[in-house]
Amino acid sequence: MMNEQRREFIKKTALGVLVGLGAASGLVPAFSLEKTVLPVWDEKPVPGKIRWGMLIDTRKCKEGCQQCAAACHHAHNVPDFRNKKDEIKWLWQNPYQKVFPTASQQFVSKEIQDRSYLALCNHCAESPCTKACPTEATFKRWDGIVAMDYHRCIGCRFCMAACPYGSRSFNWQDPRTAIHDPVTTYPTREQGVVEKCNFCSDRLVKGQQPACTEACPEQALTFGDLNDPRSDIRLLLEANETMQRKPELGTKPSVFYII
Amino acid sequence: MMSKKLLWIFAVTAMMLFAVLNVFRKGEAETPPPLSVHKSVAIDSSKCIAPASFMRANHMQVLYEWRNSSVRTGNRVYIASNGSKYEKSLNTCLGCHSNNRLFCFNCHSYANVKPKCWNCHLSPMETP
Amino acid sequence: MIEKALKGNRSYWIWIAFLIAVIANGLSAYDQQRWFGLTVTGMGRDISWGLYIAQFTFLVGVAASAVMVVLPYYLHHQKEFAKTVIIGEFMAVSATLMSMLFILADMGRPDRLLNIMLYPSPHSMVFWDLLVLSGYLLMNLVSSWAMLGAERKGVPPKAWVKPLIYLSIPWAFSVHTVTAFLYAGMPGRHLWLTAVLAPRFLASAFAAGTALLILVSLILKRTTGFDTGNEARTKLAVLATYTGLANFFFLGTEFFTAFYSNVPAHKESLQYLFFGLEGKCQFVPLMWFSLISGVASIIVLLVPALRKSTPWLVGACSALVLSIWIDKGVGLILGGFVPSPLQDIVQYTPTATEIFVTLGIWGIGILLLTLLLKVVVAVKMEKEQ
Repeated sequence: MMNEQRREFIKKTALGVLVGLGAASGLVPAFSLEKTVLPVWDEKPVPGKIRWGMLIDTRKCKEGCQQCAAACHHAHNVPDFRNKKDEIKWLWQNPYQKVFPTASQQFVSKEIQDRSYLALCNHCAESPCTKACPTEATFKRWDGIVAMDYHRCIGCRFCMAACPYGSRSFNWQDPRTAIHDPVTTYPTREQGVVEKCNFCSDRLVKGQQPACTEACPEQALTFGDLNDPRSDIRLLLEANETMQRKPELGTKPSVFYII
Repeated sequence: MMSKKLLWIFAVTAMMLFAVLNVFRKGEAETPPPLSVHKSVAIDSSKCIAPASFMRANHMQVLYEWRNSSVRTGNRVYIASNGSKYEKSLNTCLGCHSNNRLFCFNCHSYANVKPKCWNCHLSPMETP
Repeated sequence: MIEKALKGNRSYWIWIAFLIAVIANGLSAYDQQRWFGLTVTGMGRDISWGLYIAQFTFLVGVAASAVMVVLPYYLHHQKEFAKTVIIGEFMAVSATLMSMLFILADMGRPDRLLNIMLYPSPHSMVFWDLLVLSGYLLMNLVSSWAMLGAERKGVPPKAWVKPLIYLSIPWAFSVHTVTAFLYAGMPGRHLWLTAVLAPRFLASAFAAGTALLILVSLILKRTTGFDTGNEARTKLAVLATYTGLANFFFLGTEFFTAFYSNVPAHKESLQYLFFGLEGKCQFVPLMWFSLISGVASIIVLLVPALRKSTPWLVGACSALVLSIWIDKGVGLILGGFVPSPLQDIVQYTPTATEIFVTLGIWGIGILLLTLLLKVVVAVKMEKEQ
């Protein structure tokens, strides 16, 4: 722990000094490319040991605040085509009846109806999308994340038909034309493949929280290991009444909501 | 008789140790713990993972293996033949090779090989 | 034998030239799609399958329906089908080819098609579908070509041909069952999530396929003088009638379960298709047209006097094919996506590019069928003289 922090510090300062000097002398351009970062996983991970999950406290979600989605889409170079047909989204806000269409819809309090509810990939424990995929381009990772291998996707869109949550988007055209503020720390996708939320596996590997969790000013999002009874998320699940989306389908989502 | 006593002492010590450790654990939990699950390793990208002649002939196999094992099995650390460790990432390569903007392209255009890496990943030409 | 497809009269070559023009137009549209991506189609985030997958579904049915002549002819020795059976088999060949091409046209990355075989995933129905479809294509092409060759030489067919034909019978059922399973196993798409989907697929396939076979045999009679016989057509008409009835019976059971149970998820898609949902009723006229023309054609076919008259037979068969094409193509595939998982009702209109690609693939299939049937007719006519 100590060692890692020290190393991180030394690396950052060294890099900072170097870049500073370089930039000052005009030799090195100001450089934000993802340098080799210490991955958290050293050895081969044990399948099923961890199950990442997220708890969304919708009571804290403030109207008009889009910071989580903006952070997510920015961090992952999610394109914005500004039309609904080609739309690509990983994390977005919806009204109650769209996110929980099978929950009780009668006499729902105005306060609950007025709130917005985040939708994202549920990283289901029993994921229909990975079952439908003919190439295992989308697959269940060792840590419960439903991952995408964009190198393998054939673009048949079976996963989109199989997903009961509408969490998947297809690159109907070249996404690079619609990334308005690209980051260099994460790749883009290409025309003809399906994409979706990756639970920030790119950040987890560096020991960071997901971008949305970090960006939320109200700390409405809690991310953690559902298999660890002592994790924050499990303690919150223990202490609150929570909901999953369409639980009757047996997909066992890893995203929970406090209403 | 004696051994039974020893066993008791051992058991009690173990329980105490466990309790003490648990207290520490709780203490730690108050400060938000990082999401690390395994110990991390020192990683180097100041020099190439293999001699240039080897890389010239085999970089595609290396990258293919890196891509599969890092994306699919989550094994992101590459251990070179001399024991040094690298992160399996195209950015590890760019750590040095972004100094030459034409690094990938010169040879590939000469050999008329068109890999699709740069449809998604940064190429030396795009590094900031 | 294939050289026989190279001799033909003026109208034959005009027909071939026309098909090639349609194919060329389709290819140029497809080139545009490859370049700009599937954004050139009417599909989008919410309706992620459209015309292509609808054609695929319909054509797998046409392919499977060859069994409606193969089974009675080879297992029950119904001699009336002697001349029809090979037409059915070649129709299956071209329909299977078309359905596979539609899958290819629908893929975002067709260059990675082989990934399905490189990373075989038995948990995915697509893997099984590709296996049964390519098996079915080969099986029909090889067995019918061998039968025709033997007939031409006036020798009994090789010993392996008959077992291959027998294998193709259960295989035909499996082809369409697996296609139904592509849809019927998805949670959250309630129009498809029904056990009656596979039986209904088979019924509608047999109805549309046999009706189409009647039409093809009538076209052959008109254009080449090669007649498969009125008796065969009448028998086929009876088959089409009862499988068509079965199809509408299954549709009726869907309606009952959806609307009597009143479970929103079960009825919403049907409601959207036939009555409109939240004021949106894009497909309502089309679906009622399908229903009415289907039922009317079956009534016509049920009357012996009418089904024996060629004009009535042509009218009824065309109406039945069209009805099932709308029901299975437009209704089933697009209706499955409405409402979307987030309860959105999204409209879908195919673009010109999409329609041109679709016509191009139909062109390829019809061209193949024309060539194969040309050989059949030449061989059969040669024997008759």
